[in-house]
Amino acid sequence: MKIMKKVQAGTLQSSDLMVFLEPAESLTVTIESTVLKQFGELIRAKVDEVLAKHGVEAGEVRITDRGALDYAIEARLETALMRAEG
Amino acid sequence: MVTSLLSTDDLKQAQALVAQSGLRFELPYDDLVGVFESGQLVAVGAREGRVLKMLVVAPAHQGGTLLDEVVTELVGRGYQEGIDSFFVFTSPALATSFEALNFNLLVASGKTALLEYGDGLRRYLTRYGRQVFPGNNGAVVANCNPFTMGHRYLVEEAASSVDHLYLFVVREERSLFPFPARLRMVQEGTADLKNVTVLDTSWYAVSSVTFPTYFLKSDDPAGAIQMELDLLLFATRIAPFFHIATRFIGSEPFSRTTAEYNRAMHRILPPLGIAVRELERRSAVGAAVSASRVREMLMRGELEGIAELVPVSTLDFLLSSEGIKIWDKGGSK
Repeated sequence: MKIMKKVQAGTLQSSDLMVFLEPAESLTVTIESTVLKQFGELIRAKVDEVLAKHGVEAGEVRITDRGALDYAIEARLETALMRAEG
Repeated sequence: MVTSLLSTDDLKQAQALVAQSGLRFELPYDDLVGVFESGQLVAVGAREGRVLKMLVVAPAHQGGTLLDEVVTELVGRGYQEGIDSFFVFTSPALATSFEALNFNLLVASGKTALLEYGDGLRRYLTRYGRQVFPGNNGAVVANCNPFTMGHRYLVEEAASSVDHLYLFVVREERSLFPFPARLRMVQEGTADLKNVTVLDTSWYAVSSVTFPTYFLKSDDPAGAIQMELDLLLFATRIAPFFHIATRFIGSEPFSRTTAEYNRAMHRILPPLGIAVRELERRSAVGAAVSASRVREMLMRGELEGIAELVPVSTLDFLLSSEGIKIWDKGGSK
């Protein structure tokens, strides 16, 4: 799928994350997290997995995380992707 | 649940809550939201452009998630309006509670800290990563509204005394000439100078965020604090990235705000390892060259005299149909 517009999903609350998507020529993913040192790699892996699953090849993906669990990351990112399509 | 505060009663409660916390209820704002509990306002927050302000949680309700909720709402709505980076001024003691919400501390000085949500500074610097040159570099930060012989002289002199000169053009759209037009005049007017790179300041120097009073021209004491933050941000985050060791400025005989900014530069930058070199303004026809003088002459239709004050490239732009449209707002005279 293609990211067609600028969208956002999620919240700034503890155990949640905010996802910001924007159309772009190439794919860039940036992650800020209060637990980046401990879980940065795992968050990144989860994000890459969801993006791959939806065939996202281009776009600017920015994530600010406050210690969300895997399924929250997946849910927030998928919601944002759905919003970015239409 | 976070809701918009719109009714007269909402506003009264918001004013009371903000005043209670020792902050000032400050107009204008683009968005004002809050959280009610049994009819009583317990949290409030506002957004003006990219700046979040008046963020207050009633003392009895602190420690929960109310601040998170208010900021989430303001950021979410702001993002829909096209804003992707948000700023908050707070006391250094409260900076950590914003850092817990993923805000990045940009700069702190005495009583004020400036934090950013959205990682914009890093993205801004990354964008210019390929234009970082080694050596002993210099910087000029200018609005160039429009680009004059005075700017040209300052840039030429500065460029001749450093390895590489960065010319930062103020991005903020508060000038007669819009940013793309100013940028173009600057690029064309300096194209022959090989060691000069033209960049934009984004929100990180002389912007409505770091330095609002530059544009408001008011005597607000907050202006002095923000001037300091603007310069600290330049000295600690921007200058090191571009290896900037000297900031060049033109002497300022006209604008009080700019003259004060120059004084602040002499005071704040050298202790942080950045030399400040102030060059005397060049004069033409008996008076110092300034962009405001050029604007006044444009308004009065004195086109002949302008040729002596601006480079050919700027004159060409001013007399182009695009240029005329910008300054001749009253129609042809």
